[in-house]
Amino acid sequence: MNICVCVKQVPSANEQRLDPVTGTVIREGVSSILNPFDAYAVEEAVRLKAKFGGQIAAVSMGVPSAVETLRRIVAVGVDRAILLTDRAFAGADTLATARALALGIQKIGNVDLILCGRMATDGDTAQVGPMLAELLGIPHATDVSKIGAAGPEFIEVARMADDGYLRARLPLPALLTVVKEINVPKLPSVAGVLRGRRAGVDVWSASDIGADPGEIGLRGSRTRVVKTARPEPRAACRFLSGADELLEVLKGGGRA
Amino acid sequence: MSIVQPYDDRFQSLLFDESRTMGRADFVAMPRCEEEIVEAVKFCDANNVPLTAQGARTGLAGGASPEGGLILNLSRMNRILGIRRGADGRYLLRAQPGVPLLAVRKALSDKMVDVSGWSAESLELFASVRAGELFFSPDPTEPTASIGGMASCNACGARSFLYGATRRHVHALRVVLADGRVAALERGRDRAAGREFSIPCADGTSLSGKLPDFDTPDIKDAGYFLRPDMDLVDLFIGSQGTLGIVSELELILMPAPKLLAGVTAFFPSDECALSYVAAMKRFSPKPASIEFFNRDALALVEAQKLETPAFRQLQELPEDYCSAAYVEFNLGGEEELYPALEQLSGALAEAGGDPENTWVARDGLELEKLLLFRHSVPETIDIHVERNKKNEPAITILSTDMAVPDARFEELFWLYERDLAESGLMSLIFGHIGENHVHPNVLARNLDEYERGHALFEKWARAVREMGGTITAEHGAGKIKKPLLLILYGEERMRTLLDFKRALDPEGILGPGNVLTEVDR
Repeated sequence: MNICVCVKQVPSANEQRLDPVTGTVIREGVSSILNPFDAYAVEEAVRLKAKFGGQIAAVSMGVPSAVETLRRIVAVGVDRAILLTDRAFAGADTLATARALALGIQKIGNVDLILCGRMATDGDTAQVGPMLAELLGIPHATDVSKIGAAGPEFIEVARMADDGYLRARLPLPALLTVVKEINVPKLPSVAGVLRGRRAGVDVWSASDIGADPGEIGLRGSRTRVVKTARPEPRAACRFLSGADELLEVLKGGGRA
Repeated sequence: MSIVQPYDDRFQSLLFDESRTMGRADFVAMPRCEEEIVEAVKFCDANNVPLTAQGARTGLAGGASPEGGLILNLSRMNRILGIRRGADGRYLLRAQPGVPLLAVRKALSDKMVDVSGWSAESLELFASVRAGELFFSPDPTEPTASIGGMASCNACGARSFLYGATRRHVHALRVVLADGRVAALERGRDRAAGREFSIPCADGTSLSGKLPDFDTPDIKDAGYFLRPDMDLVDLFIGSQGTLGIVSELELILMPAPKLLAGVTAFFPSDECALSYVAAMKRFSPKPASIEFFNRDALALVEAQKLETPAFRQLQELPEDYCSAAYVEFNLGGEEELYPALEQLSGALAEAGGDPENTWVARDGLELEKLLLFRHSVPETIDIHVERNKKNEPAITILSTDMAVPDARFEELFWLYERDLAESGLMSLIFGHIGENHVHPNVLARNLDEYERGHALFEKWARAVREMGGTITAEHGAGKIKKPLLLILYGEERMRTLLDFKRALDPEGILGPGNVLTEVDR
């Protein structure tokens, strides 16, 4: 089973800040990490490979420094890493991103299963996975929390729903987005880290994947950000000095 | 209203600490400032009431558990008071004794701290410090420990392999003496002259006397710290509230390392693990910590995974293992990491380990996963002790923290392993192997097993004395380990220590039952 994992480099959640003027995420001076949800997709790919064999490719669209993030996932067992990087990709919304990834995956070729994290922690849209499946014309399941039986032609999954699980059997090739309940991502080994360090990462430009400049990046984006606002804290926090004061507050109906 | 109030059932939780040593009390005082400590101590002095100081009660030797008299609970003295730079340029953080270690870490990593009442100089200096620029290195397993408690038992934690125990990171202390006088002591300034000491008090008087005529072991501490010409702050660090009550501390801060990384490696045998540990002790860059887990420790956590949901996030153990070692590095940047890992990989293979059979953390986030695993061991012990105590209330935690010089460690390690295997007791070994200081724990399920555990500890204490080691390297002797301290020192030296304590505490009110054992005259 040949698997392709889509990953994104995001700002470290501990350090996320918004530019008060533009309302966009500040990326300068903030350390970048692998999108935490993508780590579950990578781990699941490694587990599936151990069970069914095949190769794992990882693809990311991002800035040149995302090579480091890709090396980190080679360390845990990804066989081949590809970075789509080009000024023409900049400013992409979810649709333009999915188009670039679709072209990248078509160039990789011979992929049976595509795995994505359920969403990226910076954009929080959860749209790229499903869009990518639609563009490639393959079935998909979102929020997958368990992968069951699989064969050359199909895969069975359980996806989390509001009031339980929904079981689905998808013909391959297919795309799955996974949630964190699916596994516990393994840390890399010393040997893996050193392999990742030495690993080559394929870097592809827009023309390498045959992208139409009007369909990618800012030009290919259909989303317009009208306004970004920071939610105002709703109530001030009050510190109580002890049980007596707490008792008074509770007697007063719990309003501090 | 007096700061001292009669004890009643509302204060039941103050009768014990993490060791589950149950105490008793007649009075309680919960001061918020030094004057209130003085008031409580004067009450005790006037009425001949013994007093036990306690911080966050996270100790493992019963030091905070009261033996009658007054509980002096310092948890409300939880304010960080200011920051300054010492003569040598080091940053010094002034704080009350009840401040939790976590709060110190938060103040430095996120600059989350209540600065009301700080001087203008402190505020200005603090504003110039970047979040995460400075750190306070002592890292006992329990981060809710209070800094006063940490000083009181000279806590160390894993990273003391590189940075040393709490003692090295305390610059100054304010101490309330047994008669209510207050002393302000600074490292480097207030020292003994040979074995003669004179503690200057705030009221212009002084308390003078003679130190015992012997030095305490070189291998970390055992109860008191005694040296000729010693810094007087060191008298009160490690003495567990038996010589004075710490009312304020000045902590030494260091530049924080830029990169934290760690490697947990698994070994087919303890011999392989010990050979790897020996290599890591000589390794460059010097590790911040070297920790060990034996087969029983790993198996115990693995079994607990089924019951404790939080443990399900732990890494899966490899299939074939006997024991594991964790090594942490505090580095200047990523450029130092990869050469270190290359070299470590070689050392690992040479010791009979497998570079594939390892977990690597390359940043703070990944390191948390390794530390979660490290901390799951004592947490699992707690769960067992709590459960066993339900069957037999006399059971406490049975954990040792003996340490010996490098050359004798393997001998001690095999003694532990052999005795525990022969005893058939449920047990495990984990801890700070880098400093020849692991924690064999006995999980006693009944009184017979509990007493057999104690007997083993006493046997080991005699062996450790012969090896030139110490019977408590970080937990303090408290109440549980003071019989071991008697074994270490013998009756004659114990008499000398008791006389010394009497010089500072003539009425014998401070820390009843802690550290020292009364011996026949």
